[in-house]
Amino acid sequence: MRVLIYALLIFFLVISLLPTFLMFSTAFVPEGDLFNRTIEKIMSDFEAPRTVLLTRVRPIGKTFELVKEEQNSFARLDPVKGVKGLAFSMGSSDINRLSHVVFKLRSSSTLRMVVSFKDIKENVERFAEIVIDPIPRWKTMRVDVEAKKLKLDVLHVSQLRIEIEGDGILDIDDVTLVNRYPTLYNFVKILREDYFGRYLLNSTIVSVCSVLGNLFFCSLVAYAFARKQFRMKELLFSLVLSTMMIPPQVTIIPTFILMRKLNLINTYWALILPNLVTPFGIFLMRQYFEQLPTELDQAARMDGAGDFRIFWNILLPLSKPALSVLGINTFVLTWNDVFYPLILTTSREMRTVQIGLALYQKLNVFTWPTLMAASTIAGLPIIIVFLIFEKRIISGILEGAIKS
Amino acid sequence: MPPVLRGENVKRKEKITTFVFILPWLVSFCIFVLYPIVFSICVSMTDYSGLTWDMRFVGFSNYARAFKDRVFLKALSNTFLFVLITVPATTVISLFLAVLLTSGIKFKRLFQAGYFLPSVISMVVISMIWLYIYSATGPLNTLLRSLGFDVPARSWLASERTALGSIMVMDVWSAVGYYTVLFVAGLQSLPLQLYEAAKIDGATKWQIFKRITLPLLKPTILFVVSINSIRSFQIFTEIFTLTGGGPANSTQTIVHYLYDVSFRKFEMGYGSAIAYVLFFIVLAITLLQRKMLKGEQL
Repeated sequence: MRVLIYALLIFFLVISLLPTFLMFSTAFVPEGDLFNRTIEKIMSDFEAPRTVLLTRVRPIGKTFELVKEEQNSFARLDPVKGVKGLAFSMGSSDINRLSHVVFKLRSSSTLRMVVSFKDIKENVERFAEIVIDPIPRWKTMRVDVEAKKLKLDVLHVSQLRIEIEGDGILDIDDVTLVNRYPTLYNFVKILREDYFGRYLLNSTIVSVCSVLGNLFFCSLVAYAFARKQFRMKELLFSLVLSTMMIPPQVTIIPTFILMRKLNLINTYWALILPNLVTPFGIFLMRQYFEQLPTELDQAARMDGAGDFRIFWNILLPLSKPALSVLGINTFVLTWNDVFYPLILTTSREMRTVQIGLALYQKLNVFTWPTLMAASTIAGLPIIIVFLIFEKRIISGILEGAIKS
Repeated sequence: MPPVLRGENVKRKEKITTFVFILPWLVSFCIFVLYPIVFSICVSMTDYSGLTWDMRFVGFSNYARAFKDRVFLKALSNTFLFVLITVPATTVISLFLAVLLTSGIKFKRLFQAGYFLPSVISMVVISMIWLYIYSATGPLNTLLRSLGFDVPARSWLASERTALGSIMVMDVWSAVGYYTVLFVAGLQSLPLQLYEAAKIDGATKWQIFKRITLPLLKPTILFVVSINSIRSFQIFTEIFTLTGGGPANSTQTIVHYLYDVSFRKFEMGYGSAIAYVLFFIVLAITLLQRKMLKGEQL
């Protein structure tokens, strides 16, 4: 029985964590997706017929010699016969993901070998020069690629070129590009090419301002409901609570019209103002204030303190637990909000990270690794907040539920 | 200054202070709740487009139009179907998990946090993850193929037959943890004496659960069902990011259609009417829940 319970618990734990784990692991894949990773890209193994080969590999100089030896065929470069090198077509590739180039060699005499890239604007830049001593047997060579140090257009590279200088024969086979795996490049790409840096900034500004606004204003209002006596108090408070039930979709059209009238569309104000005072916050803070002893404020009042002093200097410092619950929950809700930011922003610069992510997927040609990297960027801050403040987040939810 | 007057002054000052304290809420309430609700009713009875200020009073014809609009009716039935399937599924699974969690196991908080994690992740991120999981060559199809199933090489979200179901599965996955936490709290607040008594009487675990736990937990269950229904009636983000209502409106929902009508086709008068239909559905659930809870307490 015990074992069965643990087995079930673990089974459900795996199910609830697996998708997030898939997101993380896919974000570090260079190309393809998690189950079909493209780590090695074979440029040519010279096994295809010559006419097929020529579509991918071009000779530099006169045409190269294709040699067949037992089961294996390979290319032979011979400067004396006018074959100086090979150029492998790469289309228009981003070489930032590359780790190194691998190929097999055999040579009859000492040669200099030059490896270079050519971009779509026909710039050629060499990234390795190797002196090769005579190698009678096949030997695998590895040449590292450091895209950062190259000056040509590394996002659009069209050719990998291998050339030799000096006299002698060089046999070459199995030319392969190897990607870095795991790679951080997807994150770099997302932050650089889309506006994800800006989106993150927007989300942070909106969330932090909403949190501060809620902490201050909700406690202010809650103070009145907890400590002051006034007409229609309970009626007003039930009004506060009932606004929690109103779906945000009902109020969005008038809010949109108002914001447009005030020229606030595409400003931080449009995203912050509607979130500044929330019924949940007022409810939570009132609950907390009411259980603080009134003797404290009476003593302060004797000393001549006014309401604001009592609120600011006595009640607020005592309410740190409730304030932190409110702050964290507001942060999570604002960070994750979609409906309002989607409608109240239209320009790219003002999107929050959620909207940026949703529209990135809708409007771009994406690959799974870059999309998962973008999702990680949008999701990770909240996951970190959750891991740190798990207890406070859960108690915030329970506080909200008690009102039923 | 006469003492009587001073007293009045103090009273007035009191009033002003109180007013200043509740002012932030009052302002926010008037601008972002009261005005929109009133204005929405008015707009819902006009043919306002949202692009120009031209509007004409059309009475209730927007509401009449909604119930003749094929797409809206499809959205309505999809949304009801969504609620009717996901809410019971989520409730049963989360109650089951909560019972397991409160059965005196070790690492309770760790498990609970693990189940809860998906509910803090934003719906957009969750949708992206499941977009990948459901994709033609994604993890789900890879898994099914490796188990020997012959699945077509297309996304689960691209077929009319599977799209809505796939979104339901995703929604249940993302929501279960949240309600598990509520149920755990509900279960822990139940009186222990009853259980002791039942054990002495030799009741089996299933009997205890059915005869004691379930009836006592009814208020929590009602609460969970009603907030989950309200939330599910407002389903939008998943639809917006994953399918845009398609294929062939098979995943169109009320709020997504509201968005389409108001902010893509710019028929805000009609959009407001749809918003009000949603409002009344949510109101009905709230009232129903209140009534049932009151019935409980009597």
